[in-house]
Amino acid sequence: MPGFSRRTFLKVLGVSTTAATASELRPGGLLLRALTDEEKTALQAPQEQWLPTVCGQCPAGCGIMVRVVEGRAIKIDGLPAHPSNRGKTCPKGQNGLQVLYDPDRIQGPMRRVGERGAGDWQAVSWEEAIAEVAGRLSELRASGEPHTAVVLAGRVQGQMEGLLRRFCQAYGTPNYVDHDSISMATTKLAHQYAVGHHALFGYDWENTNFLLSFGVAFLEAYQPTVRNLLSHGIMRRGRPHQRARIVQVDTRFSVTASKADEWVPIIPGTDGALALGMAYVIISEDLYDHDFVTNHTFGFEDWTDDAGVTHLGWKTLVLRDYAPGQVEGLTGVPSSTIARLAREFASTPPAVAIANRSTSMQSNGLFNQMAVEALNALVGSFGRAGGPMIQRAAPYLPWPEVRLDSIAQQGLGQPRIDHAGGDRYPLAKTVYQQLPESIANDDPYPVNALFLYYTNPLFSSPEVEPVREALKKVPFVVTFSPFLDESSQYADLILPDHVFLERLQDVEMVPSTGYPVVGLRQPVIAPLFDTRHSGDVLLEVARKLGGTVALAFPWQGFEELLQYRVNGLWRSEQGDIIATEYQYFWEEFRLRSLWSDPPYRFGEWRRVFNTPSGRYEFHAQGLKADLDEAAGGEDRIDDLLARMDVQARGDEAFLPHHEAPRFVGEPAEYPFFLNTYKLMTHAEGRGANQPHLQEILGTFLNQTWDSWVEINPRVANHLGISDGDQVWIESPLGERLQVRAVLFEGARPDVVNIPFELGHEAYGRWARGRGVNPNRLVVNDTNPLTGSLNPYATRVKVYRA
Amino acid sequence: MPRWAMVIDLDKCTGCQSCTVACRMENNVPFAGQEATDAGRAMYWNQVFTHIEGEYPDVKATIIPRPCFHCDNPPCVKVCPVGATYVEEENNLVLQRYERCIGCRYCAVACPYGVRYFNWYEPEWPASTESYQNPSVPLRPKGVIEKCTYCVHRLPEPVPACVQACSSGARYFGDLDDPESEVTELARGPRAIRLLEDLGTEPRCIYLKEG
Repeated sequence: MPGFSRRTFLKVLGVSTTAATASELRPGGLLLRALTDEEKTALQAPQEQWLPTVCGQCPAGCGIMVRVVEGRAIKIDGLPAHPSNRGKTCPKGQNGLQVLYDPDRIQGPMRRVGERGAGDWQAVSWEEAIAEVAGRLSELRASGEPHTAVVLAGRVQGQMEGLLRRFCQAYGTPNYVDHDSISMATTKLAHQYAVGHHALFGYDWENTNFLLSFGVAFLEAYQPTVRNLLSHGIMRRGRPHQRARIVQVDTRFSVTASKADEWVPIIPGTDGALALGMAYVIISEDLYDHDFVTNHTFGFEDWTDDAGVTHLGWKTLVLRDYAPGQVEGLTGVPSSTIARLAREFASTPPAVAIANRSTSMQSNGLFNQMAVEALNALVGSFGRAGGPMIQRAAPYLPWPEVRLDSIAQQGLGQPRIDHAGGDRYPLAKTVYQQLPESIANDDPYPVNALFLYYTNPLFSSPEVEPVREALKKVPFVVTFSPFLDESSQYADLILPDHVFLERLQDVEMVPSTGYPVVGLRQPVIAPLFDTRHSGDVLLEVARKLGGTVALAFPWQGFEELLQYRVNGLWRSEQGDIIATEYQYFWEEFRLRSLWSDPPYRFGEWRRVFNTPSGRYEFHAQGLKADLDEAAGGEDRIDDLLARMDVQARGDEAFLPHHEAPRFVGEPAEYPFFLNTYKLMTHAEGRGANQPHLQEILGTFLNQTWDSWVEINPRVANHLGISDGDQVWIESPLGERLQVRAVLFEGARPDVVNIPFELGHEAYGRWARGRGVNPNRLVVNDTNPLTGSLNPYATRVKVYRA
Repeated sequence: MPRWAMVIDLDKCTGCQSCTVACRMENNVPFAGQEATDAGRAMYWNQVFTHIEGEYPDVKATIIPRPCFHCDNPPCVKVCPVGATYVEEENNLVLQRYERCIGCRYCAVACPYGVRYFNWYEPEWPASTESYQNPSVPLRPKGVIEKCTYCVHRLPEPVPACVQACSSGARYFGDLDDPESEVTELARGPRAIRLLEDLGTEPRCIYLKEG
């Protein structure tokens, strides 16, 4: 990256270089000479600005700047000052203008007039639409059923999450349901039990020397993508004579695997076992960090509690059950490789192990994730430069207290519609994919109103079709989507939001840098259509509902609410904007679109380990406490574990350990594991309506505009399938999809891979009717313990079409 | 006269294609649609290729992004019968005069790197998509050849859109005649390679090998 030139600097400040010249030369001023050629050009040149804002193509929250020429946004680049993406962008970020200028955007509020899903709409005014929402919601409160209103939330950013949650609270429904359970829920839960933070970690990649990734799409779809890609460059070539080693354990030869030093193919669902096998070698060869393990962990050695009962230490468990020879049989990874990886990992500090989807979203996912995290503790990577970081939260001003009326209190006292935290899913915070079943069976009660905010369950849910029935059944469905996606087609009312380039919103950077980073998303052009900020719409609805609901929202509009919260950043007197008056803070914040509070300080043990012991917990006391509570007593915990399909008993259940993963479909009939994966262009399934992204869809395998299934060439040969043949992929659901076969040496013989992204039946001209949606094959197999979907649990068969 | 050159570090490149999209957005390269793409007629001034070799589990992939190489000895210029393909004097870049191009495609055949694209169709900018056309770059009609210009319109600020966007910091741009420049230093290094060097084209896109 070249230096910060003057021109770039002016761009960042949003100053137009040509405009400055031109304004001095405006006709009417004193001008006593002829214009030079250069001045003439400047006068004729289009008025140009670079405006800072925050990308909205994925949840990461990268800073961007947008070139605006005479009211048209024409180019996006990274914001150089942003500590995460540092002036860089991924292809999705580059392509944001195809979202803004998508010809199939919804142009104003609409009411359904025909059958659900028939696509007959009538334009309504905002006043009418908002009055209808408020009217319906009032009726539910009047009849004492506020809990039957459900908010299904996907990509909530900044204050929109707090606003939606607060709305639910003041209104009186416990049913704020987000999409974590089909995403990162298990990873967060494992972190909660290990270190006491229900959050993803940041990582200090610039100082990492060994990256061991268990199935993480580090270079494709692991937030924040651009920071990962930049870090990859730094790890490999940014530090003279210090080239980090990268190893990818994965069921598929991904882009990340191809860029790694080594790809370790593994049997699906056994990543935890591999981590435990490595732990065996590290412990038995005495390669672990004694200082860290002794001073900062809990449950490593056998221990005795206050009552004098002796407990199993993790060390004993590992040495008892996970010798490499044993683990080889479980994982398919040769014991010599396990031993070598373990030695490399322990002898190349700082070393970091990461895991997510294909590791955590399994029937044994919580324990897999715990096992991988335990490797970091074993070699002492926590609290050390180059290791995981627990990101500090931005010091927003706390929300004012909410006063609840008796209706709200009654509503909030009802069980959740998704059974999260209840008997069925005791550890879950949310169970997104449970909704269709709950709605179908009125279990525990009927849903009378459903609000969809940045989520498209009729595309993103497993099995898909049950969602259609659910959407048909709910009497009142409202969506805030700017696009007519699958779910919006079944709505009664569409209240289209602005797209991200037209919207004011704060975006707190996802865990990455370790220190808080807040970006300010600002409109770069006026809204193109009669859309409205969903925050403003909700505040208006709250006002109309009156009473304590209105009192909970004393702000005139979203901007006022945002400023209320952002005021805390100013008051904290922390970070890189310090001002005597709030007004100056806000002006500076708008100018930069960015506030951050570096650096990250390692070794803040009390903050980092927020667990009962104040240490990293191999023996997860938090997990035990939660299970005790769910079971209704310590003595009933075994029954609970049995009900939760957990195989371990006693102390082992609270320690990182391996359990045989469970799959749906008999291997004899369904010989392949189905692996659904994310491409760089994926953008949480929202990239399919962007033609440039379609045209670079799967360059790794030379694929564009259509879906494909990857099959190992020798297996394909055995099945009589050639490259490019149409094949059927059939799952135990009885559902089958016809898709083109791509023979790929990077496919395991026992796994077939289908990428996400395509298979839309709606969502605009470029998305509709193209490729297949692999979610249709995925059995809704939910982990009872965590409420997380196990999307990798489905087995399939493959045959020629 | 500068000798603008690009250096691409293949060890850093992750094949994300930020460069491809940045280029399309900057240079008004329209998308082609499925049919045209399947027919090999989509235009990418900066395309990313992947070559996969080996047998499971010993698989290897090589990812190579490819802009125009702006050769010192460009074969495309020699074969152009009408002088549409030429070496521009001020910046020493291989450029295309669209208004003079007769669409014979000799240059596309002569280029050993396949960087030249023919406009098989009238470019389409459906509905509101023309809003993001860059006023600094001319649109090309059906029947002419186009290709990467190293973002000549952004000079003298020497940052082509692909270099600015590159999310892994794999791209460098500068003047090979400037002994102090980063590209000169990298081009001299032990990992530097030029594609099909034996043809004598003297390409000014230099790759740094992996590993």
